[in-house]
Amino acid sequence: MKAIHYGILGCLVLTFYGSVQSALARNAHRNRVDPIPYANMPKWAVPFGRFRKPYHRWYVEPNTLGYDGAAREVPDGILTHLKTVNIGVLAPLDRNNPDSAYGIPMLHGAELAVERANARGGNDGIPFALRVHDDLPLWGASWMAIVKMDYDQHVWAMLGSVNSASTHIELRATLKLEIPIIDTATNDPTVTETRIPWLLHNFPDDRQQGYALADYIFNQLKLRHVAVLRATNRYGRLGDAVFLNCARRLSHQPVLEAKYSPGEQSFSTQLRMLREQGIDGLVIWGDAWEAGRILKQMRALGMKQPVFASSRVCSPQVIEIAGRAAEGLVTACAMNPDRTNPKWVRFRQAFLGQFHAEPDAYAAYAYDGMNILIGAIRKAGLNRGKIMDALRQYEMKGYRGVAGYAFFDYTLNNIAPITLGRVRNGHFIYWPERRTDWGGPVPSFMRAEALQESR
Amino acid sequence: MRLRLLQSLRLATLLILAAASSLAAQGPALYTRWINYTPANGFPEGEVYCVTVDGNRVWAGTANGLALIENGRVKRVFTTADGLAGDAVMSVAVDKQTGDVWVGTFGGLSRYSGGRFKNYTNLSSGVANDLVYGVAVQGRYVWVATAAGVNRFDTYTGAWSIWNETNAPFNEPWCYAVSLSKKKVYVGVWGGGVLVYDLAGHYWKPYRDPDGSMETVLYRNQGLIHNIVSGIAYNHETHMFWASTYFGLSGFDGRNWHNYLTKDSGLASDFINAVQTHGNEVWACTQKGLSEFDYKTKIWVTYRPANWRALDAAKAVKDGRGEIIVTRPDGNKSKLETPTSPAHNYILNLAFQGKDIWVATAQGLSHGIIQSQQKGKINESSTNGR
Repeated sequence: MKAIHYGILGCLVLTFYGSVQSALARNAHRNRVDPIPYANMPKWAVPFGRFRKPYHRWYVEPNTLGYDGAAREVPDGILTHLKTVNIGVLAPLDRNNPDSAYGIPMLHGAELAVERANARGGNDGIPFALRVHDDLPLWGASWMAIVKMDYDQHVWAMLGSVNSASTHIELRATLKLEIPIIDTATNDPTVTETRIPWLLHNFPDDRQQGYALADYIFNQLKLRHVAVLRATNRYGRLGDAVFLNCARRLSHQPVLEAKYSPGEQSFSTQLRMLREQGIDGLVIWGDAWEAGRILKQMRALGMKQPVFASSRVCSPQVIEIAGRAAEGLVTACAMNPDRTNPKWVRFRQAFLGQFHAEPDAYAAYAYDGMNILIGAIRKAGLNRGKIMDALRQYEMKGYRGVAGYAFFDYTLNNIAPITLGRVRNGHFIYWPERRTDWGGPVPSFMRAEALQESR
Repeated sequence: MRLRLLQSLRLATLLILAAASSLAAQGPALYTRWINYTPANGFPEGEVYCVTVDGNRVWAGTANGLALIENGRVKRVFTTADGLAGDAVMSVAVDKQTGDVWVGTFGGLSRYSGGRFKNYTNLSSGVANDLVYGVAVQGRYVWVATAAGVNRFDTYTGAWSIWNETNAPFNEPWCYAVSLSKKKVYVGVWGGGVLVYDLAGHYWKPYRDPDGSMETVLYRNQGLIHNIVSGIAYNHETHMFWASTYFGLSGFDGRNWHNYLTKDSGLASDFINAVQTHGNEVWACTQKGLSEFDYKTKIWVTYRPANWRALDAAKAVKDGRGEIIVTRPDGNKSKLETPTSPAHNYILNLAFQGKDIWVATAQGLSHGIIQSQQKGKINESSTNGR
């Protein structure tokens, strides 16, 4: 009898021990801090990931943006000799330039941040002042703006631009001129892949958009015959390249890559080609005004396939143009404007009050970027090398701004995953949380707090 | 007291020379003496972006104008006030036939001829963009690397040719540097790899990172190591071209690629601002010092200020002492201290003047001189295990 009792007791102890062990193991797995892959890249998107370990990987080590130049040794500016602490801005502002749809809100966001900083005393009593340059696409004339900012306006840092070609040029020039750049609007992921240690970028780039869309289209919806229709400009070319790479690595080479010129009105040729291919989904990488027309003409041709698009399409304009044809459209979204986060709500009210327009992602990220920059100037003083050092302290750290939660990797690029939005009943309905569901554990930097923030 | 100090200095110099001679037996000759040009001796303040030697004249492009050095003295500094197109001077080339000096600036291209500047800008000429990074002269033609493509200017007819993404295989039009051989023109393109123009065939051939991804080097000698090319140099003796990138150094011998990273060589840093080459030597201008690679012996030598990593960087440079790091093919390193050093560890470019070198740094121009006459094998006893 005793033996039976001991046996039962033993079994209970073993069961208890087993369950404790398995709970510990589960907990350990949950709490495991996984190294963050470059660009928070899902495993399936790693180049050659299924075939070979590369000889060398860039951007995954702390000293990726190490700077050994002499900028810190330049004598600090003397605040009392200055009337203003100048910050340059390069943005497309001419209303004839289609990119002004992004540049003007970007400038307004930056202005609001500067205004608020000045209301709090500027930089030790000296106000910040923006030195604004219009980013003109013709002949790259505005690329000289950074030279003017340096030699004529003596800026301590700059913000800009939207066009990634302009941003790359500024970046190249700043490697020589040594001016910190905050880039709050470029989608081009290569901007932060140059190792030039003079730039911080907070706008969700094409990588994050490509990963989210590819995951949704191929892994979740299980679509197979997807085509891409993209603008022939740099925005379309680079974004499309990321998406195509993702698709290939998921073994779903898009069946067709069609193109259109910016400003095109009729897309019938491209749409007929797509229809003949028997596609079961279409990805548009371009701007809202063209996407709206594409949707309208596509539905008019009787094409009912689901449509997905890049973040520039996430705009009320696409619904205004396409009307009911926009229903069901899914886009990558740089930001969720329906959040009730108090920071965002206060910013939205202030922006509406001042500029009589709803703030978009370009305004929000510019506001956050300018606040990051102003904080760095206040911390470091009037020395460009030290200002950049202060910005560099964001490496592998997060920032909670009005646009949501940003997390900067070793290249000072925001790698926080993005959200998606779907048009329903004439409005964008945003996904309740950021896309973190592509296999494996949630990255440590995006755990509960960050997810809460993004709502 | 003074006599004793002089004797100590002489003894120290002799010891350094002896060590340098033994370190340098059969390997590259070592530069153990440095003369620096800084604001203290009339040189412009700020970064020195480029340097070009023309006989006994040395032209240095700086953040504050174009400096001319003759017979060891700063003879003149030209700025926009003198008619130069821009104060930030990125490149200088001398036309050997006419003596004209071509200057690439962040404000356009300038031609210094007969004591006057003539400027070529985006609005006044066929120059593709006013951010001019590189310039080179080839007979009657001047080749110009700009932020929006490559130009060729015919000095006889005044005609401009332009190549960019619309008429040549440019991934990106952002050109950084241009280097010439008798048959070809080599262009380093930021984000676009290396483009080579065949002068007889009138066509461009691109060389790009074959793995196609910015974040990886798939194989060590896969091809061009990275598409973000910062400098290009053709070697007239070995017929190889070398490309510097912010991701290591690449050389191409017409058949095979030879790539070098800090992790597999004596390269001081993977972040290389420019490359120059002559004879068996390849010089990488990195942000952690000037690295010389002797292609024949596979020995690396790096020059930089001795305590450049000191927290007080300004003090490190003012201290004046230098260090030479020699890395042998087996990875063994040895270190030598010198009483003088390049003006800064952040090296932007380099030019040769006979056996001497002129080095553009972030804080002044440096003249490197070989003190020992003796060349030979690096003394094995002086090396330390890595």
